[in-house]
Amino acid sequence: MISTESELPDERIIEDILAGKDGAFVQLVSRYKRKVFAMAARFARDRDDLDDICQDIFIKIYENLGKFRSDAPFEHWLSRIAIRTCYDALRKRRKERGHVPLDIVHYQIAAESGEELLVAEEARTLLEKGMSQLNPAERLVITLLELEEKSVREIAGLTGWSETNVKVRAFRARQKLKRILEKHHER
Amino acid sequence: MKDEKDEMLDELFRNARLMKPDTGSVEEHFETRLLAVMEEKRNDQAIWSSWTWRLVPWLAIFVVIVGIGSFTIDPVSSSDLFVTFTSSDDDYQITNMLAGG
Repeated sequence: MISTESELPDERIIEDILAGKDGAFVQLVSRYKRKVFAMAARFARDRDDLDDICQDIFIKIYENLGKFRSDAPFEHWLSRIAIRTCYDALRKRRKERGHVPLDIVHYQIAAESGEELLVAEEARTLLEKGMSQLNPAERLVITLLELEEKSVREIAGLTGWSETNVKVRAFRARQKLKRILEKHHER
Repeated sequence: MKDEKDEMLDELFRNARLMKPDTGSVEEHFETRLLAVMEEKRNDQAIWSSWTWRLVPWLAIFVVIVGIGSFTIDPVSSSDLFVTFTSSDDDYQITNMLAGG
């Protein structure tokens, strides 16, 4: 059976990139861009910001590809770089705390009825407002834990923080969100 | 133990999870944009690198001129290595005289 380029294992593509083939890098980007975009969209302010974050992620991947060791899956290595870049992006705009993301990134809705759709939309808007008031570490942890449904261990692996640290940050984030929502309901 | 507020928050997360970011339109032609940015970065680095190399001969000439200048303007008056280093010719002569050298 003849294997097509899209079936090439990641390790083979990486070898080609390290040998100087830009075409192989394009192939790697095409393979993982959906995953990277989906992750970065949780933290980006708008479409341009999302594009910038994703470009940063792939440039870091390209520049550090020589350091990748095949003892762990490439996807895991990529996710760690993606998460750290998103965290850096959150920290850079810490001064803009309280900023609510512009509604330029569209959403796919898994709701079945019109009512569910409205509730889901309201929940998303309310959470975005609340999360914009959290500090970068808390926002990162709560997004990964509650929206991406990652486990504490997975988050620890992705961020490089200890599991205890992740739990503490998640707890603080929840407490803050509860207070914010309480204030919102009082209005 | 979870209170009422925790349950409200969980409900909010459950509803928010129904909405997944749809990034399809932003992903279009991403590879082209990325390669353009990378090419630009490479060019910038190449310009800096070429300027650094171009400055090397001028730096070498400057070092030679400074070296020649320092020897012609303030030549070392003694061939004694210690004096050359300390530049204290007078002290050296006095010490020699007192020590009977």
